[in-house]
Amino acid sequence: MASMGALAFDEYGRPFIIIKDQDRQKRLTGNAAIKSHILAARTVASTLRTSLGPKGLDKLMVSADGDITITNDGATILKMMDVDHQIAKLLVQLSQSQDDEIGDGTTGVVVLAGALLEKAEHLLDKGVHPIRIADGFEMAARCAIQSLERSAETFPLDVNNLEPLIQTAMTTLGSKIINKCHRHMAEIAVNAVLAVADMETRDVNFELIKVETKVGGQLEDTMLVKGVIVDKDFSHPQMPKVLRNVKIAILTCPFEPPKPKTKHKLDVTSVEDYKNLRKYEHEKFEEMVQQVKDSGAGLAICQWGFDDEANHMLLQRELPAVRWVGGPEIELIAIATGGRIVPRFEELTPDKLGYAGVVKELCFGTTKDRMLVIEECTNSKAVTIFIRGGNKMIVEEAKRSIHDALCVVRNLVRDNRIVYGGGAPEISCAIAVAKEADAIKTLEQYPFRAFADALESIPLALAENSGLNPIHTLTEIKSRQVAENNPALGIDCLCKGTADMKEQHVIETLHSKKQQILLATQVVKMILKIDDVRSPDDGY
Amino acid sequence: MQPQIILLKEGTEASQGRSQIISNINACQAIVDCVRTTLGPRGMDKLMVEAQGKATISNDGATIMKLLDVVHPAAKTLVDIAKSQDAEVGDGTTSVVILAGEFLKQMKPFVEEGVHSQIIIRGVRKATQLAVQFINEIAVKPKKDDEVELRQLLEKCAATAMGSKLINQQKDFFSRMVVDAVMMLDELLPLNMIGIKKVPGGALEDTLLVAGVAFKKTFSYAGFEMQPKQYTSPKIALLNIELELKAERDNAEIRLENVEEYQKVVDAEWTILYDKLEKLHLSGAKVVLSKLPIGDVATQYFADRDMFCAGRVPEEDLKRTMKACGGSILTTVADLGDSVLGTCEHFEEKQIGGDRFNIFTGCPQAKTCTIIIRGGAEQFMEETERSLHDAIMIVRRAKKNDAVVAGGGAIEMELSKHLRDISRTIAGKEQMLISAIARALEVIPRQLCDNAGFDSTNILNKLRQKHAQGNRWMGVDILNEDVADNMEKCVWEPSLVKINALSAASEATCLILSVDETIKNPKSGEGPAPQGRPGARRPF
Repeated sequence: MASMGALAFDEYGRPFIIIKDQDRQKRLTGNAAIKSHILAARTVASTLRTSLGPKGLDKLMVSADGDITITNDGATILKMMDVDHQIAKLLVQLSQSQDDEIGDGTTGVVVLAGALLEKAEHLLDKGVHPIRIADGFEMAARCAIQSLERSAETFPLDVNNLEPLIQTAMTTLGSKIINKCHRHMAEIAVNAVLAVADMETRDVNFELIKVETKVGGQLEDTMLVKGVIVDKDFSHPQMPKVLRNVKIAILTCPFEPPKPKTKHKLDVTSVEDYKNLRKYEHEKFEEMVQQVKDSGAGLAICQWGFDDEANHMLLQRELPAVRWVGGPEIELIAIATGGRIVPRFEELTPDKLGYAGVVKELCFGTTKDRMLVIEECTNSKAVTIFIRGGNKMIVEEAKRSIHDALCVVRNLVRDNRIVYGGGAPEISCAIAVAKEADAIKTLEQYPFRAFADALESIPLALAENSGLNPIHTLTEIKSRQVAENNPALGIDCLCKGTADMKEQHVIETLHSKKQQILLATQVVKMILKIDDVRSPDDGY
Repeated sequence: MQPQIILLKEGTEASQGRSQIISNINACQAIVDCVRTTLGPRGMDKLMVEAQGKATISNDGATIMKLLDVVHPAAKTLVDIAKSQDAEVGDGTTSVVILAGEFLKQMKPFVEEGVHSQIIIRGVRKATQLAVQFINEIAVKPKKDDEVELRQLLEKCAATAMGSKLINQQKDFFSRMVVDAVMMLDELLPLNMIGIKKVPGGALEDTLLVAGVAFKKTFSYAGFEMQPKQYTSPKIALLNIELELKAERDNAEIRLENVEEYQKVVDAEWTILYDKLEKLHLSGAKVVLSKLPIGDVATQYFADRDMFCAGRVPEEDLKRTMKACGGSILTTVADLGDSVLGTCEHFEEKQIGGDRFNIFTGCPQAKTCTIIIRGGAEQFMEETERSLHDAIMIVRRAKKNDAVVAGGGAIEMELSKHLRDISRTIAGKEQMLISAIARALEVIPRQLCDNAGFDSTNILNKLRQKHAQGNRWMGVDILNEDVADNMEKCVWEPSLVKINALSAASEATCLILSVDETIKNPKSGEGPAPQGRPGARRPF
């Protein structure tokens, strides 16, 4: 009967039905509930554990309709895993929100949460009240963040000297599949962000950075275009392939006789009428082309299509045109070229045109794929990163990695305080927290110490993934950190011979680390606080 | 033999008499057990999964009760009092249920011994009346005219309300924010003028209070990015008009006789839209918000004239903007003038986490504010929202009615002592009843101790002793596992919360005690199955 929810009996042995369908509900209470949650969360965390760090491995995921994704980005893995368990879902959201806020460190945050829960389980076994564990963790998190802030350094953010930024971006890219052209990618990311960054308000508008992908070529062919790339070609094959110093008309109206939106019917009753209609259509085309020409435009970019007749006429009148350009691209082109989007031909005036130095069509290999590149625009604040790669999966992964790198650079622009990577901040925090723990006189001392242990799980996982002896490496680094009082010592994942992350230029933003610790603690607290679960029984 | 008279439809369940009262009481106990553990700062949360798989994690009594989907008729009363407490004061929903449950439990022996329900009810009523009177007598009224003191009072009340929630580590931060928010409102303190929005990512401390209206960027068409995103004292037009090219009448059909008319129809449609747009432009409005979609043509038109627009603004947000910025929501642009346009000091679009927000500050008309909650997981933010709602309600209440009592079981212990003293002076059955209620009141401190894992008997004995010595505000000290003066420790609650909880609990008790017969119609569609639902009743 225990499994049947809260079933109560009166004196005569009759059960009450208090809650609807209560015999079909599962109920878990007390420590059993917490333990089952911890188990679920740890399972998720252990999936991600091997993806951490520069030598972390990738996961291959096949979706329900057979799409394959290979990635080592924590947020992506969890999203693709499509977990069903409520608690596991919390972890998915956790990495998602780290992704939204920071864009990097999504694996680390989940691994940390998993480690914290593991430690919490030991404490529960000792009989510590779950909320006191949560409180202790939270106090410890605060202590850890203070220690982080103490050891943080200001990053030399200088537009003229990009080297340090590139080094940071390289750290982020280090764990990704594209690290074969590491530097190249990092440079692209840094240049892209700096091109659109507003140094005064310290803000970066990501909508101005577009990432386009195309399968084929090599990763090395990836490039940064200071302009816009559109996956379209000129509407007529005989139109010129390269245009220089053109004025661009950006249209959201189709090259066809305008139609009323009201339902309408045109009765064509005689041949005469039919001819009239024909003539009208023809005149309309001509008028439109003329209007575009009159405004002085050398290129028409159209959101909608136009039929072959119109196409032919455009060619005749030497007006190159691009059709079926999507809404967001139209917008980007408008921003980049400084033009206005024109919804009607009647409104086209010379001052609404955009300007571009070069518009050219790119051809790829033997395929007939063509793309349109618009460069040297009036407003250089819109850039496109154009990724090439051997197959779709690589290109997709490269896109995700570039996104991570962009986020890191952006975060540096926003807040240029940094810590060193490679597990170094976790070790130094662990030392600080452990030291602090002894000064606490209440029961929270235990969770406090457990928190320090949990922090060490990140360097442990790093060392493990790099093929080092985890415990051995960690103890060595830890003792050196204490002895040399240098919080920049971390795990030498790449076997470069030095553990000083400063020399290795492994840099992470302070903001990202802080977020990881805060978010992980938050979720752990939430999980620990639940002691009663009611869910529909799957048995029925 | 007399023929059997069939009065009720077959399958109807009828039970009556004393056993019925007892069984109702037992049903209520089962409900109380569900929320018992959520009380107090060490209270736990419940995770509830609905049949559709939507999960809710909550500590709020009313929320849990709502989600439990109670079907037992007597037990439903408890759900109702929790709901009414939520609507009336917003906090104390768990305590009201626990109190009602305990009242019933204490009354059960009397029912069993054959005391008439009406006498019991009279006793409960009298005890409640005495208790309410006593609360009013002893409640402390800090001076209201002193700004600083009032603020402190409000902050302490808010902090106490949040003490049991997930966010209790950040309660200082949030209580300041909540008080700020309520202080921004006008005399009537309308709750709907505080908007709460949630953005995933960031830490709880990143939660921010906007002195004005803020809402998420709506879906936008091409051209939106070219609109300016910042204005100082713009005029704001609030519309309920679709600014899109569309058929003016849905079922209309136009029959066109010849081609010339074709163009005219098209032009007519455009003119309708352009007329609207031009009127908006001429009115001087800089920001245009509409409940209905604003199409691409309109977006581009506005972009062209340096105006900002947002379509499909949720109605609630639009109304809040209207109340804050003045003006009115227009369904036509015919009489657009300054009188119907709103204004504010500053408008801007700002990136918060992964979303962009439209923020209006410095609104002249009404005072309003928006709280933007940040947090790791969706569940977390939802619970934060519920907790903030409770705190806001409490602060509102406290501002209107500023008498406070000490929380943490102190007031209950004092009431208990008071009632026990009075009961000794009464002759007759009521003596027993009132002292039983006095005993029942001790359940709150006892539950607080139980939830925190303390020895409740021990602490309760200490409390009784202290109260007998005249230490009026001694309550449970959760942090130190002891008793303490909770008035000094700043665990304050508005006296109204307690009064309301007491009256609601006693009313529910009276209601349940006065029911002596239940007639339940058979469920339609189940056919003549007098044995009740299969599986629901099991052989004993």
